[in-house]
Amino acid sequence: MDLASANLAPTIVTQGLTRRFGELVAVDGIDLRVSPGQFFGFLGPNGAGKSTTIKMLTGLLAPSSGRIEILGLDLNTDPVNVKRQIGVVPEGMALFGRLTGAEFLSFAGRMYGLDRDTAAKRAAELLDFMQLADQPKKLVTDYSHGMQKKLALAAAVIHGPKVLFLDEPFEGVDAIAAGTLKSMLQGMIARGATIFLTSHVLEIVERLCSHVAIIHHGKLVAQGSLEELRTGVEAQTPAAANDGQQPTGEKLTLEQIFLRVVGGERRTEQELSWLG
Amino acid sequence: MAGMNSSIPMRAQLAAIADLRWRMFVNGLRTKRGKMELASRVIVTAAFSLGGFGGFIAAAGASWYFVSHDQAEFLPVVLWPIFFFWQVFPVMATAFTNNPDSSDLLRFPLSYRSFFLIRLTYGFFDPANALGTVALFGVLFGVTIARPLLFPWAALALFVFAIFNLMLMQAIFAWLERWLAQRRTREVMGLLFILVMLSFQLIGPITQRLGRRPNPQFRHVLELAVQAQRFLPPGLAADAIHQAAQAHFVAALTSLLLLAAISIAIGALLHLRLRQQFRGENLSEAAARPKIAHAQTLQLGWNIPGLPPTIAAVFEKEVRYLARSGPMLLTLIMPLFMLIIFRLGPASSLRHSNFFGYTPDMAFPSATAYALLVLTNLVYNSFGGDAAGLQFFYASPVTFRDILLGKNLMHATIVAINITLVWIAVTLFYGTPKPAVVVATLAGLFFAAPLNFTAGNLLSLYSPRKRDFATFGRQNASQMTVLVSLGMQVAIVGIGIGAFAVARLYQNLWIAALIFALLAAISITIYVVVLHRIDGIAIQRREIILAELCRA
Repeated sequence: MDLASANLAPTIVTQGLTRRFGELVAVDGIDLRVSPGQFFGFLGPNGAGKSTTIKMLTGLLAPSSGRIEILGLDLNTDPVNVKRQIGVVPEGMALFGRLTGAEFLSFAGRMYGLDRDTAAKRAAELLDFMQLADQPKKLVTDYSHGMQKKLALAAAVIHGPKVLFLDEPFEGVDAIAAGTLKSMLQGMIARGATIFLTSHVLEIVERLCSHVAIIHHGKLVAQGSLEELRTGVEAQTPAAANDGQQPTGEKLTLEQIFLRVVGGERRTEQELSWLG
Repeated sequence: MAGMNSSIPMRAQLAAIADLRWRMFVNGLRTKRGKMELASRVIVTAAFSLGGFGGFIAAAGASWYFVSHDQAEFLPVVLWPIFFFWQVFPVMATAFTNNPDSSDLLRFPLSYRSFFLIRLTYGFFDPANALGTVALFGVLFGVTIARPLLFPWAALALFVFAIFNLMLMQAIFAWLERWLAQRRTREVMGLLFILVMLSFQLIGPITQRLGRRPNPQFRHVLELAVQAQRFLPPGLAADAIHQAAQAHFVAALTSLLLLAAISIAIGALLHLRLRQQFRGENLSEAAARPKIAHAQTLQLGWNIPGLPPTIAAVFEKEVRYLARSGPMLLTLIMPLFMLIIFRLGPASSLRHSNFFGYTPDMAFPSATAYALLVLTNLVYNSFGGDAAGLQFFYASPVTFRDILLGKNLMHATIVAINITLVWIAVTLFYGTPKPAVVVATLAGLFFAAPLNFTAGNLLSLYSPRKRDFATFGRQNASQMTVLVSLGMQVAIVGIGIGAFAVARLYQNLWIAALIFALLAAISITIYVVVLHRIDGIAIQRREIILAELCRA
């Protein structure tokens, strides 16, 4: 953890956060701690509990037990004040399909308490920045998937949130749009915002995030800066027992760390004979 | 490609889809809500069956009478109302439409024939189809009891008539959806509607003048109309049976063939639309207008005096949604259509021969009640059109109380506009309603609207269903919503009739106004109390609502 953030009160804290769906424990007592200004990557295999966690952190899902504190406020007792200061791009993007991009952003701004002028100005700026301004009459429902992702992100930041939660923000986004999104997110981090992101694209997480947590079968199995995770994994796994992909002396990539932490095995030997 | 057939048998695909629907139904029963849906469906079906039974008895009785008294030429009197009900009810009462969208199936290698058949099959389970079919069974029963030998022929004629109705209903939905999808065609439709309204204004006085006294010219026109109807589907179906009853089998066959030909023509019209849908047609506004880069201008949100900005934002969003939904707009102007139908119905040429002609006082209250009824489509599923956008509401720092208040304000605005239009139409058709009638009706509205809004807000959270504002008729309504909405309307209409009956008893309509004002005070209190508790309900229900509305 860097010194600057270590001295400040954490932005996101969870204590024993648990979510059960009947018999299934999707999230099992996780304790997260995200400091101000961190670009925090939340990783895990499919079904590990990433989306469930982010939904609980943003008030879209009630925890079965445990506590969530964001910016020092309890999400359970003070949800409106928490929501005022955070931005969210959830799994389904939360768009209103039968509005134009400008109408949707202006609406989003006003719902977050911006006055009409500010909401309209920021909407125009964001549309321009996201390169969505050339078809002002186009309805959101007619946007491509990538355009919708950009619009969802624009709506999440229109009120200048202190914390941004992004569930798979780069999924289905082309390289140009991804570059735009990344530069915007890095700009927010530079200005002191905190970003909590889930992604399956480990290269992106490795490039963007300063800190990472890995969830597996609902339990938090690793948390810390990339360097801390690397050191931890290397200490636990002797070089002789590594997967053979890492030449001696080279740093472990996030993908290698991830695979070792979750114990994933790639099924390459078993062939589906009828395919192709 | 081992294990794969070179051609995919249609029967296997249809069986797979039937199996899919069955499994969806069975899996739906795993949840408490699914079980309640089933219970609601049983009750709604029973309620509709009662209506269907009434239709069956009426159709059977009339058909038996005409055929047994050698007056089979009057069978159109039975078949025309069935035809009108079959075609008009689904458009007028889209809230009860239960016609799932089949376009999701297009990702599979489905043949066009399968797609066409599936669309027709889905359409068959619509209440209007079911009730229409039951009424036709009534006709068949009546004809058979009167003349058993006519059974095969009547069965054939009525079967073809049923197929015609089924295809026409689907064709109307498909073409309306096409015309209402884009602004340009929507404007043309709007213009046509205004022209029709204006022409009705001219027809009304003319038919009135002609109808006042025996007029040979009018009688001639009427006779021509009676002759002409014989060449239209209800007339042809009736004529096929009538000619067979007279043992004129060539004439009967001719009518039947003509009916079949019209059915095929309607099928071809439906085919034109479905073919486009099968090819993946996109009816969005974007397809209608070329890509033009406009200079970016600031688009300020609406400022509504007296309303907090968040409620004004929700109100504006709702209005924009509605303005872009041709199907929904069409539903909302149905009360005016109803007045036109009553005013210019088959016997309306004589001023006092239709229902409102006898009791013009009831025209304004009835049309107002209907204006509120058509709104149930929106009110009882307030978040259906938002779909995944609902997540935004949950993630934003705005209470559901404010969100629903914004939505209800928009609903109230629609009611106000509709009632103003209804008042104008009633004034034109039946004369200015009496002040006591207007006051009593408005007081009744202040009683009925908050009650409907309360029930609607609760059902929007307890029984939401994703709704596509761009499609017409391809909606799968929640049966629980249909049931509660139906029950609520029956109760409100019952209370309304009771209040008016008491007022009539004492020959003072102001009594009805007073009763409604008292009831309004109670229903507004209920509305406010429930609205204050709505946030807790929304939070408590969030997982179920989000799972229902945000799933792909």
